[in-house]
Amino acid sequence: MNTLLDPAPKPKTAPTPTRQGGPRGRRKRLRGPRVALYALLIAGALEALVPILWVLSGSLQSAEQLYKGTDPIPDPFEWGNFATAWNEGGFSQYLPNSLLYTGAAVLGILVIASLAGYALARIEFPGRGAVVGFILVIMIIPMPASFIAQYKLLIELGLANTRIGYILVLIAGGLPISILIMRGFFASQPKELEEAAAIDGASLLGTFWRIILPLAKPGLVAVAVIQAMGVWNEYLMGLVLFNDSSLMPVQRGLTNFVSAESPQQQILLAASIIAVLPIVIFYAIAQRHIISGLSAGALK
Amino acid sequence: MRHRNRMLAAGVFLAPALAMIAVFTVIPFVQGILLSFQSWDGVSPDTPFVGLDNFRWVMDDAEFWGSMKNAVVFGAVGLVVANAVSMVMALAVHHARRGSAFFRTVYYLPGVFSTVVVGVMFSWFLDPKIGIVNQALKTLGLDGLTHNWLGDPKTAVIAVAAVFVWYHWGFGFILFLAGRQDVPGELYEAASLDGARSWAQFRYVTWPGMSHVTGIVSVLTLLSGLQIFGTVQVLTNGGPAGHTSVPTLHIYQQAFQFNEYGRAAAMSVIFGACLVALACVQLWVSRRLGGSTNSRTEKGR
Repeated sequence: MNTLLDPAPKPKTAPTPTRQGGPRGRRKRLRGPRVALYALLIAGALEALVPILWVLSGSLQSAEQLYKGTDPIPDPFEWGNFATAWNEGGFSQYLPNSLLYTGAAVLGILVIASLAGYALARIEFPGRGAVVGFILVIMIIPMPASFIAQYKLLIELGLANTRIGYILVLIAGGLPISILIMRGFFASQPKELEEAAAIDGASLLGTFWRIILPLAKPGLVAVAVIQAMGVWNEYLMGLVLFNDSSLMPVQRGLTNFVSAESPQQQILLAASIIAVLPIVIFYAIAQRHIISGLSAGALK
Repeated sequence: MRHRNRMLAAGVFLAPALAMIAVFTVIPFVQGILLSFQSWDGVSPDTPFVGLDNFRWVMDDAEFWGSMKNAVVFGAVGLVVANAVSMVMALAVHHARRGSAFFRTVYYLPGVFSTVVVGVMFSWFLDPKIGIVNQALKTLGLDGLTHNWLGDPKTAVIAVAAVFVWYHWGFGFILFLAGRQDVPGELYEAASLDGARSWAQFRYVTWPGMSHVTGIVSVLTLLSGLQIFGTVQVLTNGGPAGHTSVPTLHIYQQAFQFNEYGRAAAMSVIFGACLVALACVQLWVSRRLGGSTNSRTEKGR
């Protein structure tokens, strides 16, 4: 844990004048404020981490120890809690389901949003501004305002309680913001390559597939990580659409486990950790992109 | 000729996106408004029109309006408390020379947790018997302060708001940090040459320079606070006696527990209209306050 200064890739917003010494510019002369500053930073870190570590500890305690409620260190370590939670909680079903939903939805969003984002950034056609405005308006429609009607629509389409129905809803929900991110990304790219390809007589779709998409990797990664987190943690539609537990995603599976089995507290804590561990690992790996992606998505 | 080709290309590129949004977002939106004037039990194929009956019923539904009031509380707490914390911590990390990557990663970590898991965690912390909050008070000899935090309507709303702040402030923090890094350094140099101390620098450089970010973060935090659902369902399920209910939860229960889909749709229309209006007002206000951010970006070129 020596210096953790990584030059995080900054979102491609307006180019800012580069300053000496990276983003943290001016020298501070004062010692006292330094100490106060780090005290504040460490307090913030404890505030975020202590509840998480406490849950981790609780998930490894025996029932007797947990019900005392004050021991920070598990004694003995009850690793069996995780096996119990995994087996009784049905995670061998829920986890693969969530992996499938996340993978399929993210892939669909990437393909559809990059096509649309490219058209809105690069192809000049009448009504382009109106389409962008329309997408912005769609983004304002909140999920709680329409989930009842979405459920009704899926019943009418015969897609309620099906994997494909859930995936389609996830894709549609993730599209607007992803289109806007991709549009911003394509707009900031130089045009020369496309123009060269066009002169060589390559078709637009061919150019897009072979030349433009490979160059758009940073934008695609930003969209993929934000959407993956959103989809993994999605709960409301998973709750509404599924009554067949073999199709449920992991968050829905977790509440299903609580209501069906009323597990003991330490088992429930272990189950919660199973439900978040994949996305936490993903976050640890992709956190730089998540941070730049969030900024690109919200601050455009 | 060229023009026709361009139209065709744009059509091909946009078709999948527009089709998906039309079918799964626009149609339900319109259907939802229609459904709010109909009666539907969730199963039967016939959905008779009932005029304004659903809305009349909702007007008299004290629990729905109570849930709207709670949403406002959560939204306001998020707006004030979470944003203040995010802003302070973002500026602190910006000024820290060491460990900023570590702090950034840790501060956003709670935001990676799903609302359901956050609900499970805090149900345990706040449990009257085995929760750490009461146990710690007992250990400190403060038995008088132990409390059924989630069972008492007065403290339950505050508890849920605190939980919301815990998992949400990292999101605003990330955006504020990005916004702070976009404020040009020479503005600070100029300000310090003019003799501006740190407070004055914050007041006249940082705050105006980040105002558009503040506007965006405010909208997003407010909307998340208003739409809180999974956490509340797990923590209290709206109890005791509906005192901690929130609109999404109340709508969900109306539809999926009482099979009153028309009423649920009417509530969705009212709630959705409020959310959309709020988002528009907020964006308009922040645009007015933000002034033009273009002047800054032009300078960097």
